[in-house]
Amino acid sequence: MSGAARSEADAAFARLAGFTAKIPRLRWFAAVGTTLTPPVIAAAETYVAALGLAPCPVVTVGGWREAAATAQRPDWSRDWWQAEGACERALQGQAAAQFGLELLLAALTDVTEAAAGIRDRAAAALARAGLADEALAKVAAGAAAQACHQQGLALLAGDAAAPAFAAKFALFAAGRWPLGIVGGTCFVF
Amino acid sequence: MSATAAAPIKSVGALKAAPDDYQLAVRKIVRSHAVNELYGARVYDEPAIALAPTPYLKWLTCRIAMEEYGHHVRFRQLGEQMGIPESEMTPEGRKPLSIFEFPLQTWEEFCVVKLLADLAEIIQVEDLMKCSFLPLRNLAKVTMPEEIFHSQFGKDTCTELVKTGDGRKKVQAAIDHYFPMMPAFFGKKDSANNALYRKYGIKQRTNEDMRADFLKRVRDLVEGHLKLKLPEVAEAA
Repeated sequence: MSGAARSEADAAFARLAGFTAKIPRLRWFAAVGTTLTPPVIAAAETYVAALGLAPCPVVTVGGWREAAATAQRPDWSRDWWQAEGACERALQGQAAAQFGLELLLAALTDVTEAAAGIRDRAAAALARAGLADEALAKVAAGAAAQACHQQGLALLAGDAAAPAFAAKFALFAAGRWPLGIVGGTCFVF
Repeated sequence: MSATAAAPIKSVGALKAAPDDYQLAVRKIVRSHAVNELYGARVYDEPAIALAPTPYLKWLTCRIAMEEYGHHVRFRQLGEQMGIPESEMTPEGRKPLSIFEFPLQTWEEFCVVKLLADLAEIIQVEDLMKCSFLPLRNLAKVTMPEEIFHSQFGKDTCTELVKTGDGRKKVQAAIDHYFPMMPAFFGKKDSANNALYRKYGIKQRTNEDMRADFLKRVRDLVEGHLKLKLPEVAEAA
């Protein structure tokens, strides 16, 4: 590896280490169920546009039960899920070519381990709403962990590599849960 | 120090004073769990994310895959403390169990894998919860709630699937294909390894006992609860 490449790799892994350290300190699910603010709506619109999808209304859901029901609707957008998957695969290929697959996976394992504690934060948010639902806590934690993984990949591939994942992660960091595109609407809990 | 159920070995450090065959037995168990938790996550849990029919189930499967990888990490960390080479704790270094040879193609198959294989895993982990090597006993206790959740996930999703005629057929077909692989998971009858494990209180039950317990519990689930048919299989491995 040349000196310049090593310095670029050091910078990428430093970005990722900073991000990983931040994960336990975020306000996971602290703002779910509250009114959507203009910055939250703007982040959701950026997320949709950056995935290359048509603009759609951004709407919230009232509570955890409604969030669970929304995530189980049969009319969820396959295009949305596939666009995320394509973006993820492109970033993984890019980062693996740059740093090697083994190093990349080791770094992402650190992100996943840092994200493991999000289940407890989801369970606590459910408890504040008077609910005890282990499956739903794990669903929310799974969605958040996926966002951490995606943003981790984006940071390794370069700061501006994936604005969609940065916008999605910003929604989680603001205490929300982006539920994706269902029935032509982008739902943010 | 002699290693028996009455005189548990409290730490990895104390393990060094245990008889050689005790150390070997514990290493085999830790290595096997490290390899198979990782391989199971790779061939079943992670691919199942793409097969899941809704975002809710995709995210839940993401979390389950994370937990299965997490089990590997915990067993690998214990193995590292015990001096087991890292290369022996991955599927690249050690052959995984035959239950992972089932080629996963559908969501229904994944639900059946969780229903059957995670119940089998619970039975193994239940036995380790009385293990004379306390670091392994503690690991079993930490792992158990997640194993129970995974098995319950299999039961819940299969219960939903069998509500339709098509789902019922698919779940039955998956059971027909996968269940015959399960009895071998508990090891051979009159196994020398198992005799050694029991001699030292590392495990409590014979392979035959655990297999019989599994068959009873799985029959209750499949025939009693789901009202499906369990294929006939040879009970002895």
